[in-house]
Amino acid sequence: MSNHRTSLLLAVLLIVGGMTSAAQAGESFASAVREVSPKTVKIFGAGGFRGLESYQSGMLISAEGHILTAWSYVLDTNYITVILDDGRRFEEAKLLGADPRLELAVLKIDAKDLAHFDLSKAEKAEGGSRVLAFSNLYGVATGNEQVSVQHGVVATRTQLEARRGVYETSFRGQVYVLDAVTNNPGAAGGVLTDRRGHLLGMLGKELRNSMNNTWLNYAVPVDQMQQSVSDIIEGISRPVQLQDDRQKPELALNADLLGFALVPDVLERTPPFIDQVRSESPAAGAGLQPDDLVLFVNGRLVQSCKILIDELERIDRADPVKLTIIRQQELLEMELSLNSSATGTKP
Amino acid sequence: MKRLISNLRPWAVLLLLAGSSAAALAQDDLGYLEEKAVLAAVKAVSPSVVRIQTVGGLESVASGQTKILIGTGPTTGVIVSPDGYIISSAFNFISKPSSILITLPDGSRAPARLIATDHSRQLTLLKVDAVALKLGELPVPTAATASDVEVGQWACALGRTFEGDSPNLSEGIVSAVRRIWGKAIQTDAKISPANYGGPLIDLHGRVMGILVPMSPQATSELAGVEWYDSGIGFAVPFDHVLRVVPTLKKGQDLHPGVMGISFKGNDQLAGSVEVGAVRAASPAADAGLKPGDQLVEVAGEKVERQMQVKHAIGPRYAGEEITVAVLRNKERKEFTLRLVDKLLPYQHPALGLLPLRTLNSKSAGVTVRHIFPESGAAKAGLKAGDVITALGETPIKNRDDLLEALLALKHGTTVAVTFQRDGKDQKADLALGDLPTVVPDSLPPARPAEELPAAAAKPEVGVLEDRKITEFENSYLVYVPQNYHPMQTYGLVVWLHEPGGYKTDELLALWRPVCDAQGLIFVAPKSSNTARWLPQETQFLRKMVDELISNYSIDPLRVIAAGYQAGGSMAFVLAQGQREVIRGAALIDAAPAGNLQENEPNFRVSYYFTNAEKSPRQKQIAAAVDRLTKAKFPVTLFPQGEKPHPLTEADCVHLARWIDTLDRL
Repeated sequence: MSNHRTSLLLAVLLIVGGMTSAAQAGESFASAVREVSPKTVKIFGAGGFRGLESYQSGMLISAEGHILTAWSYVLDTNYITVILDDGRRFEEAKLLGADPRLELAVLKIDAKDLAHFDLSKAEKAEGGSRVLAFSNLYGVATGNEQVSVQHGVVATRTQLEARRGVYETSFRGQVYVLDAVTNNPGAAGGVLTDRRGHLLGMLGKELRNSMNNTWLNYAVPVDQMQQSVSDIIEGISRPVQLQDDRQKPELALNADLLGFALVPDVLERTPPFIDQVRSESPAAGAGLQPDDLVLFVNGRLVQSCKILIDELERIDRADPVKLTIIRQQELLEMELSLNSSATGTKP
Repeated sequence: MKRLISNLRPWAVLLLLAGSSAAALAQDDLGYLEEKAVLAAVKAVSPSVVRIQTVGGLESVASGQTKILIGTGPTTGVIVSPDGYIISSAFNFISKPSSILITLPDGSRAPARLIATDHSRQLTLLKVDAVALKLGELPVPTAATASDVEVGQWACALGRTFEGDSPNLSEGIVSAVRRIWGKAIQTDAKISPANYGGPLIDLHGRVMGILVPMSPQATSELAGVEWYDSGIGFAVPFDHVLRVVPTLKKGQDLHPGVMGISFKGNDQLAGSVEVGAVRAASPAADAGLKPGDQLVEVAGEKVERQMQVKHAIGPRYAGEEITVAVLRNKERKEFTLRLVDKLLPYQHPALGLLPLRTLNSKSAGVTVRHIFPESGAAKAGLKAGDVITALGETPIKNRDDLLEALLALKHGTTVAVTFQRDGKDQKADLALGDLPTVVPDSLPPARPAEELPAAAAKPEVGVLEDRKITEFENSYLVYVPQNYHPMQTYGLVVWLHEPGGYKTDELLALWRPVCDAQGLIFVAPKSSNTARWLPQETQFLRKMVDELISNYSIDPLRVIAAGYQAGGSMAFVLAQGQREVIRGAALIDAAPAGNLQENEPNFRVSYYFTNAEKSPRQKQIAAAVDRLTKAKFPVTLFPQGEKPHPLTEADCVHLARWIDTLDRL
């Protein structure tokens, strides 16, 4: 093949390629949707009053009718109804188990040869990945109507802030934050796939981010749930331990023990400035000074006196505590310990 | 692919590509390429996108009537110079935090200082000490110039609000350029506190703008926040940001510029660009713009509609010089003016004296009745009895001449006063000061001792009960002194009762002697619902006042509204809304309600407050006095002692004496 012929061929290839892709735009999403839809289910249960919807979404994860969905009040009834994509209706679906820590639940219906996702073959995505979300948001789909499909992008994969009160969920693991308005009423338990329809995760509930007063659209990656789901299916029960929500130790630290006092807490968010340091205390030994502003306690940002006091209450007296302070526009780190006073200052 | 081509014959390749599976493949590749392009762009910019955390500060900030909770979560900034300057959205600092902490993409942390804020674009410049941190040179991202930004092109919004190595991103397109009066790029990417302060980038990894909340109607840092994640978001063009950074670096705040004109009609789309009013002491007034001028060109842009003027001025800062071309009498005139950030409130200039109320027809000048101590007139040596005949070059025949001549002068300037004393002409330089607010303990008679000719016809006098105005259900009570004479001028007191109405006998017992002594006409309207005054009842009140003015000889400078508690609040509403006729409001233990208008040269409105130490309204009243004083309104404060109470006889005499000073010049 001469060079001329190669370049001519390439030109033709490019034109044909461009034409088909333009003419058939969306075709690949369509095939992904055809692939995924039969694996989605609509779930109806408790609720239906005071703004609590009585429906949510779910996905088939075995040919025999195991269904992964979000753990919520909707499942808090003996009459859970599951409707498959083809309209088949299963009343009294069995709740096999739930993991409140991950906010997931597994249901079982009596069926055979169902199209389903294989959790062990799930894909991973990163910020910027194009994704599809399948859910029965607002309960618009009924009977054999297909659930709704939304298109978006993964905004980022991140760890949910562990501090209590930031998110009204006990889930503290990795999530996909989505650049799409996916987390609507009824969407919890829905499917997140990549643009080819490969499973990525499960859509979470509606979640408010109190850090900046916005709504968070997120999905839990499959790898976070896999162990828990197979445990539930196999009937293995493990003691549930909530992750953050670090228990306060019986004998906790406090400012007085460490030998410092904060400025009076008079504002809504009084900045945690050091007011006094007692001589020959661990604080004095570490070089803490009045007017220092404490920024971090063991690497956790403390934005007010209240938060600082709370953080100290979560540290055992036997353990040292690392403070990061700001002094005349300079960050200093110091370690304070009740056992051996003074462990020095390093800039 | 390459191997495929070499192994297959050309027609086979074509067939394969034309097949549907190949089409899907091509589409997949397009999606893949898009993803790859976005990630590459994000990667190029992300070293310059920093996380900002704050310590301390307010929990909520007032936005109009409501309070908005301010989050404590991390926000975003973009490095704009290698030595550690970072630009962010002003929204991220409205809680006035006591400490700011920057985390660079590599995880290193540094305290930052707030350097300056651009209040026009809602941007805040921060500085970290890169040297102290041994950070070396910080990476500044590449800017996309304004001409690179096209509507419809891809746009990615980045933030650093979540934990993790890569920034959070939201994708969209450029929805519009030159939005918010030419100040911002609009995008449909999701813009919220999760990325305010972050960059809006293009697929080449260039920064198009800095994300900020904005609204075309309002100008505060909070404006536009309610639009978060709504498919409408804004970014200030990055090349503009880089242009203002040097100014901000000097610690100099930037403000939007104003020139001080308003238009005839307020339809922004269709309204004409004829100047309706020129604010006194504004750049426009100083440059010489006048009402009636037709704007032709503003800051180099041709204008035919009010929107275009807003567009031309919108992007400009206070301190910038612009040219304005107008048509005046079909002639083109050009003016250069320097925009300011705030229009100074207008302050009426005053000589500091009371005129004698002589009959206008007879007068050949203004006779001084009283000189206020410490005033310009006192310092210039004027005395009661002097007759002012000229102000500067303007001859003065009567009080209205003097009033008009004063309008042309400025507070704080000096003017030559020509006056007659003992039959001789004298001249003095007089520094124009504030309108006096002190009520003298006693005043000489308001009229010269002269016989008045018998009045030909006299309107009704005495107590006139149950008066009505056609079309209104409200009734009113009037008292006109028995010795009323149409050739003299009278003050008018509109008494607005507190909830529950009034007893005619008690009211008259209090006011009648004062009215007789001070030459006042008294009117007490009734609200249609005795429990309260409704704002729309100002229409009735206005008609009632107009009616009295047309029937009696009333001095426009001495028409006031007064009331106790809720009645006083209504008096304030009336004085603010009907300033063409109501020139004073007396609030007896009452807090003002409603908005405050600006002081205007043509409408001289004075305020009178009583305040008592133990009044539940004490703080509101003190705040209102402060606000009115700052807006340069003349305010008289009469302390009522410990407990607030309705007007006593003595209080009433004091109030009447205040009204007696309202024709001061």
